[in-house]
Amino acid sequence: MISRQSMIVAKWEFLRFFKWKQQLISYLLMMAVMAAVALWSYFTDESRKVYRIAVPAQFSISNTEQFQFQRPTIALDEQLAQLKDSESWHGVVTVSPATAAEPGVVLHTLAAKKWQQQLETELNNYFRQQYATELQLTPAQLTRLQQPLALEYVYLDEDFKGKDTPEKMIALGVLILLFIGLSTAFGQVLLSITGEKQQRVTEQLYAIVTPQQWMDGKVLGHSLSAMKAMVTSALVMLLVFIVVSVVVRDNGVNLSWVNWGVLAWLVPFALLGVLLSACFMGAIAASIDDPNTSGKGAVMMITWLPMLFTYLVIDSPTGTAMTILSWLPLTSFAAMPVKMAMVELPWWQPALSLLLLVAALWWMRRLAGRIFLRGMQMYGKEPGWGQIVGWALSNKSE
Amino acid sequence: MQLIVTAISKDYGPVAAVRQVSFQINSGNIFALLGPNGAGKSSIIRMLVGMTRPDSGSILVSHQDQHYDHVPRRLLGYLPEDRGLYPDKSIEKNLLYLAQLHGLSKQQALKEMAHWLDVFELTDRRLEDLKQLSKGNQQKVQLIAAVLHQPALVILDEPFSGLDPINQEKVVTFLKALKARGMTVILSAHQMAMVEKLADHMLLMAQGKAILSGTLADIQQQAGPQRQIHISCAGPVTAEQLQQWLPELDIELLTANRFVLRLSAGQSVSATLKRLVNELELTQVEMQSADLHQLYLTAMAEHQRREQA
Repeated sequence: MISRQSMIVAKWEFLRFFKWKQQLISYLLMMAVMAAVALWSYFTDESRKVYRIAVPAQFSISNTEQFQFQRPTIALDEQLAQLKDSESWHGVVTVSPATAAEPGVVLHTLAAKKWQQQLETELNNYFRQQYATELQLTPAQLTRLQQPLALEYVYLDEDFKGKDTPEKMIALGVLILLFIGLSTAFGQVLLSITGEKQQRVTEQLYAIVTPQQWMDGKVLGHSLSAMKAMVTSALVMLLVFIVVSVVVRDNGVNLSWVNWGVLAWLVPFALLGVLLSACFMGAIAASIDDPNTSGKGAVMMITWLPMLFTYLVIDSPTGTAMTILSWLPLTSFAAMPVKMAMVELPWWQPALSLLLLVAALWWMRRLAGRIFLRGMQMYGKEPGWGQIVGWALSNKSE
Repeated sequence: MQLIVTAISKDYGPVAAVRQVSFQINSGNIFALLGPNGAGKSSIIRMLVGMTRPDSGSILVSHQDQHYDHVPRRLLGYLPEDRGLYPDKSIEKNLLYLAQLHGLSKQQALKEMAHWLDVFELTDRRLEDLKQLSKGNQQKVQLIAAVLHQPALVILDEPFSGLDPINQEKVVTFLKALKARGMTVILSAHQMAMVEKLADHMLLMAQGKAILSGTLADIQQQAGPQRQIHISCAGPVTAEQLQQWLPELDIELLTANRFVLRLSAGQSVSATLKRLVNELELTQVEMQSADLHQLYLTAMAEHQRREQA
């Protein structure tokens, strides 16, 4: 099916954009940036400091790890002066007299800071307690009052695995990985095909390989690049998960929640989806004469829509929209794995969806080859959409 | 390898790029397509390469008792008019990639590459990126790419363009080497002096039509018995004076006392000289046949006259 020449083109294209040194450097830079962000947030974390807050003498508020409540005996003006001059306190809390027109609590500080939100929470809790005491509520009654409603969902559809399950996380991960893969392919296909046209390599290559062999090689090479980006990103995600489990949460690595059966289905869907999208991108890129003046490049972003549409209906995996998306060959590569992750399906459904996807891929690769040939025969003239549709519907190859 | 092209025509919309052109090329010959820009040379080449098909007429290729209605890719080496390889890859990587696409093993490709890089004195630069080379050297790499796989037919669109005279001579040597290896070569060019040295057969085209074709001798005969007289005289002479004395002739003043007279059919050498002797003291008179460059210009002028008429 794939000729030797196509494999040579695929290898060339894959290695052309595979610059492992630069990639390693970019990963190291990314890790350095993440480390810098972590260090910055650690050193600027205000919640680890202790703040001294002056409160009125009648306040019975208890100290916390973050706040020390002091009850100075000096007048308010002096308290504020000390706050301003020597920062004896980080804040001074006053309460309006009960007789005031607008009773309330006032916090005096030098400027707005993040810790003030935590202080507000502490003050809120304190005043709730005070009101509860006034209303003669017991602590248990107060706790009950503060608790939100615990609504439990019971799903009668036995095939539905649940709403916020690990499977949904896998499904979301799949969509993110597909997005990463297709973004990689988008840039590379556009650069590679239009670049080759501009550098006048295509005519030379035409004398050596058929347009179909050339397009097959391109699609395969860039799909491999996309898969490489997806695998690398998946490994990075896994690494982050391990670091969070072992270092942050101090747990072991537990992968028992992973549904390996669904993951096995993901691979062919992802591979075929990337190939189909790369074919579509190749067809569009082959019709572009000059990427600086053509508006067709943006059309290649259509390949991102299946992920977007699937994401929008991810919480209704058994709905009509998801069902249509999971069968339609142009979107099934994104929707069917997500549906499978969230709903128990009979084996023939993903199998048939996969078969339709293969047929769509076959048609799209032939179309991409045809557009490349016809586009090249136009010598510097960019084909219109009408012509492209005409080529898509015709069955002529070379 | 034998190529027989019979009455091919090609239109691009309202433009008739090629009109009823026929020619034949025998194995091991060098065939030149000549003509001004837009004459239809590249259109013919693209039909031979298979990028486009003729609207009418036929292309017949015979090679080792096999017959084809197009040139099979495995028999073809091609240097397109719009050149280009991968500028950010080395010479070696570029050539190896194209050779492997042609079906050569890595060892075969490296062996052939070593030979041709040596011919073009590029061996020491084989690991340099293409973008680091001069335009002329890039052109040489492209020429090597066209022949690495030892094709039976090599089609070179403007192989001399962009090259200095020394490198043009190198390309002449290269083309002779291809011929010596038994390859059939089709080239298009404007450099008549180079073509004259090389081509066994040539086809002169204008506005999609074949005007003259055959060997150099055939073309000289088809263009008519055109002669050139190179004359030196004792004193200075002006173009206006010469035009006044010989108004019917094509005259080119080379220096103040040296000029060329071009005579076409029916114009007598002795009568011309007699008229000149009355006006000037001639010190040297030399007769020459018209070169390809002159034949080309004359044929083009004649074609234009006919078209206008």
